Amino acid sequence: MKEDRFEALMRDAARTYRKPPQPDLDGMWSEIERETWGVVATTKPARIEARWLGTRASGWLAAATLVIGIGLGRASTMMKHDAAPAKQSEVAMASVSPVRQSDTAFDAPYNVETSQYLGQTAALLIALPSETRSGHPDDKFVGRAAELLTRTRLLLDSPAANDTQMRALLEDLELVLAQVVRLQNGQNGQDRTELDLINRALEQRDVIPRLRTAVADISAN
Amino acid sequence: MQHVTRPAVALQTAHRVSEPELIARVLAGDRIAARELYDAHSPRVFRLAFRLTGDADLAREFTQDTFVRAFSQLARFRGDSALSTWLHRVTVTVVANAMRKVKRFRERETSLEDVHPFAGSDSGVDPVLRDRLHRAIDALPEIYRTTVIMHDIEGYTHTEIAEVLGVAEGTCKSRLSQARAQLRAALSDLAPGELES
Repeated sequence: MKEDRFEALMRDAARTYRKPPQPDLDGMWSEIERETWGVVATTKPARIEARWLGTRASGWLAAATLVIGIGLGRASTMMKHDAAPAKQSEVAMASVSPVRQSDTAFDAPYNVETSQYLGQTAALLIALPSETRSGHPDDKFVGRAAELLTRTRLLLDSPAANDTQMRALLEDLELVLAQVVRLQNGQNGQDRTELDLINRALEQRDVIPRLRTAVADISAN
Repeated sequence: MQHVTRPAVALQTAHRVSEPELIARVLAGDRIAARELYDAHSPRVFRLAFRLTGDADLAREFTQDTFVRAFSQLARFRGDSALSTWLHRVTVTVVANAMRKVKRFRERETSLEDVHPFAGSDSGVDPVLRDRLHRAIDALPEIYRTTVIMHDIEGYTHTEIAEVLGVAEGTCKSRLSQARAQLRAALSDLAPGELES
């Protein structure tokens, strides 16, 4: 009896003693990524800005960064084209995978942006099952998907999509992300169907393994 | 190639890669694999860090430190124990080292109401007794407190705790017994004659 009472108290303590809050997994991950690999150099300022401007504003910031990156990339393409038109056309003729075969300076603006974009998209898609376990993702998750969808479309309209494999991957991601964004407005039953469709699309198109390969390719360059 | 329609967890299982393979990929520089390891282990690491500190900001910081350190030292992980055990060992070390430096923690400890949100009063436990128990756990010597938190609060086995803390299983049991005796003593005036074993 005495022991029972103490055990009951300890069981209660397991529920009530320093009850952990929900951790901000993505926020912690950004810091870990930055400290471990020194990547996402733009992420921290963007996150600081986000505190001032709100989540929606940070989405626009990311899109703006991408537009500037694409602008720089295009400018460098034109400059390069003007400087050596013959060589450029040879490259274009011979190139099966421009991302791999063109020089680093030419690709740098796209590679940095594409690498960050692919990493963040992979993280979002990997988190999809746990986020939708309750049948409906939260607004923050859907908001992130919407932001990534915008970036997908910008990348599709950039030289980063010249590579046929990359273009195919971006098109598949556009489809999947658009489906995730649609979850926001759906009813619970509809969401289940949508989730099945998303999962089927991911499986049939091998999206996650292709994302891995693309990130590895860009990192290798 | 067969495609089966499954519920939302399908993605998780369909692309599930074994942990040793994920570790190998992380060592080869694959950040997505690193994220997968992080997703699998970070919630429990955060829980442990929070239970040990009682402070969400510190728990967040120590969780980050744990993974930064783990990824930088992953090549040293030989697989003798489970990765989770290794990570929790890093967590306990990070927390213990940092807490010695965090003087202000002592001040935080005094306002327990702020950091001990109760999960509700439906368990029939006297709130005064509960609060006294929480304070008694806080007041335990660090080695006892860590053992109580891991065993009684977070549900680790003695074997796991022994591996994480690098002590013999018997030592772990003995520490728990000592800790519980101190907790009973701390509550004895509120439940006279009831809790002495």
